[in-house]
Amino acid sequence: MSIPLLETRALSRHYPGGVRALDEVDLRIGKGEFVAIVGRSGSGKSTFLNIVGGLDAPSGGSVSIHGRMLDYSDRRALIAFRRQMVGFVFQQFNLIPSLTASENVEYPLLFNYRPPAERQEKARQLLAMVGLGDRASHYPGQLSGGEQQRVAIARALVADSPLILADEPTGNLDSQTSEGIFSLLQRLNRERQVTLLVVTHERELASYADRTVEMRDGRVVA
Amino acid sequence: MNSRLAEFFQLAVRQLFRRKFRVILTIAGIAIGVAALVGTVALGEGIRTQAVDAIRTQSDLTLIEALPGAQGNILQLVTPTRAAAAGALPGVKASAPVVRGTFATRGQTYVQVVGVPADGLEDVLHPTYLRGSGFLSGSNEVVLGAALGEKLQRYEGVRIGDPLILIRRSYDAQGRPFDEETTVIPVGVMEERGDAFDQVLLMDLDLAIGLGEGESGYSGLLIRAEGPDRVFSVAEGVRGIGLSPRGSFEQIEAVNRMMDMVVIFLGIFAGLSLLVGGLMIASTMITSVYERTREIGIAMAVGASEGDVMEMILAECAVLGFIGGMAGDLLGVLFATVLNALGGPFLASRFGDAFAGLLDTEIALVTWPLLTAGLLLAVGLSLLAGLYPAWKASRLNPVEAIRSGR
Ligand SMILES: Nc1ncnc2c1ncn2[C@@H]1O[C@H](COP(=O)(O)OP(=O)(O)O)[C@@H](O)[C@H]1O
Ligand SMILES: [Mg+2]
Repeated sequence: MSIPLLETRALSRHYPGGVRALDEVDLRIGKGEFVAIVGRSGSGKSTFLNIVGGLDAPSGGSVSIHGRMLDYSDRRALIAFRRQMVGFVFQQFNLIPSLTASENVEYPLLFNYRPPAERQEKARQLLAMVGLGDRASHYPGQLSGGEQQRVAIARALVADSPLILADEPTGNLDSQTSEGIFSLLQRLNRERQVTLLVVTHERELASYADRTVEMRDGRVVA
Repeated sequence: MNSRLAEFFQLAVRQLFRRKFRVILTIAGIAIGVAALVGTVALGEGIRTQAVDAIRTQSDLTLIEALPGAQGNILQLVTPTRAAAAGALPGVKASAPVVRGTFATRGQTYVQVVGVPADGLEDVLHPTYLRGSGFLSGSNEVVLGAALGEKLQRYEGVRIGDPLILIRRSYDAQGRPFDEETTVIPVGVMEERGDAFDQVLLMDLDLAIGLGEGESGYSGLLIRAEGPDRVFSVAEGVRGIGLSPRGSFEQIEAVNRMMDMVVIFLGIFAGLSLLVGGLMIASTMITSVYERTREIGIAMAVGASEGDVMEMILAECAVLGFIGGMAGDLLGVLFATVLNALGGPFLASRFGDAFAGLLDTEIALVTWPLLTAGLLLAVGLSLLAGLYPAWKASRLNPVEAIRSGR
């Protein structure tokens, strides 16, 4: 394997009281891979995603993207990393209720200093791609859970970030809608070559991925 | 950057719209504070303008008398040099030196005498005569102030053209008093002026000096300023020469000093209500940040920097302050309009003719600078009130913020 898109070495996260949420995790993910992370609740999956996404800092070890180590003590670098390198999809959808679907998709670009016309065009394209072209001016409250999660996926893609992190994106959805979300993710992975790191606790859904990583007690076990 | 700030403002307006009721209450708080401030200052400024106008129309504002001044402990006399310097000040139309003395009549009426050159009398005092006319240079003719003329006529039967004997008391080398008598001819009585010249007897400067007045220099220098707008600068110039300016302009200064105090005092109370409005903003924004913890976390996750978060919160504060300030200005104008429409007639009916002048004048004076100040104050205060909530929001931990149920 050439230089991986993402590589963690001995990545650890300790909480006060001796909790080892992550315990020396070594993981390499190649560009364009679709990786599912499975594991019981409390096994450290969210912690891993948050650290890799630059939202949380490790207690030890390192994270490299494109072979460059991420410096968690450099606030500016961390913010630039969140803006350009990763897109997040959450279990709770986490759209901004006062913004329309299209505005929610644009939202990250607001912090990327992109002009409004470009942002609107991008949002339009992405909403069409996730199958919500006709819902652009709807507010989150007017959309179903599955639709909201599609908007959130479009938002994660809008900055053309090479790495998409999704933390139990179907945890709040019924199984049929969940299948729809995962097949959408699979399509995005194939058509746009985005690298996907998706947490799920449902084995069937993990089968959409190229590879499955299992975590237990803060360690990668398979 | 600027267009992004503009978008933060748009977002701010929409965020505020979500909490309409609370936001309206907060805006009302700010608006009442601004209105109170605009209202009180407008009232104070209106009264000040009224008073100053009254002084302007009722007194001879452009007349200044330069008297000997004190610099440290040294008396600065009105020497011919200083008189010339004062007369040459910019804004001075005419000036005339005067000497003053006290005489008595045979009927024991004390008479303040002012000696002034005949042409100076006309050029500087601009006298108008109830009866008769001015005195001639080099003569023993005199002119009486309105009140003095009335008094002498009533109690001593003094009339124009009749000789009048003035007695001046002096002291000899042994300190014994002796009286000297002089005969003068009143040739005119001035119309009432409403100032100290109503009480005096005016005579030619040379005559007064001949009677022994002005031995230690002139008593003063009468100055006529070119216009009401030049009076204060002329007075300042006179002070610069070391002399002490007197005149009805001092009443305006006194009114201004007093109204400054009144306006500041009332303004402090109005400012307190504005402060309450600011506290409301702080409270509203703290609540809003708390309620939107998760949203702020999401913004951070998608790339908002701490500065971005602060700007977003402060933009909301600025919008609150701006709307509140505008509403407050509007309320203030409304208050002033109502006061001007109802207040004048009310005062006139309660207190009678003395206040009839208020019928068609503005008691409360709203000016653009005042409205601008009200608006800026509201926005500034809102930003200040938002600093803490904005800082708190920017310090949120994104992971915890997103996980929080809010
Ligand atoms: N803020 C925290 N303080 C203390 N312990 C935490 C905190 N966040 C997570 N943990 C602990 O870290 C471990 C891993 O949590 P998490 O990454 O959320 O697991 P998962 O997403 O796999 O369910 C758990 O034992 C959890 O209790
Ligand atoms: Mg989790």
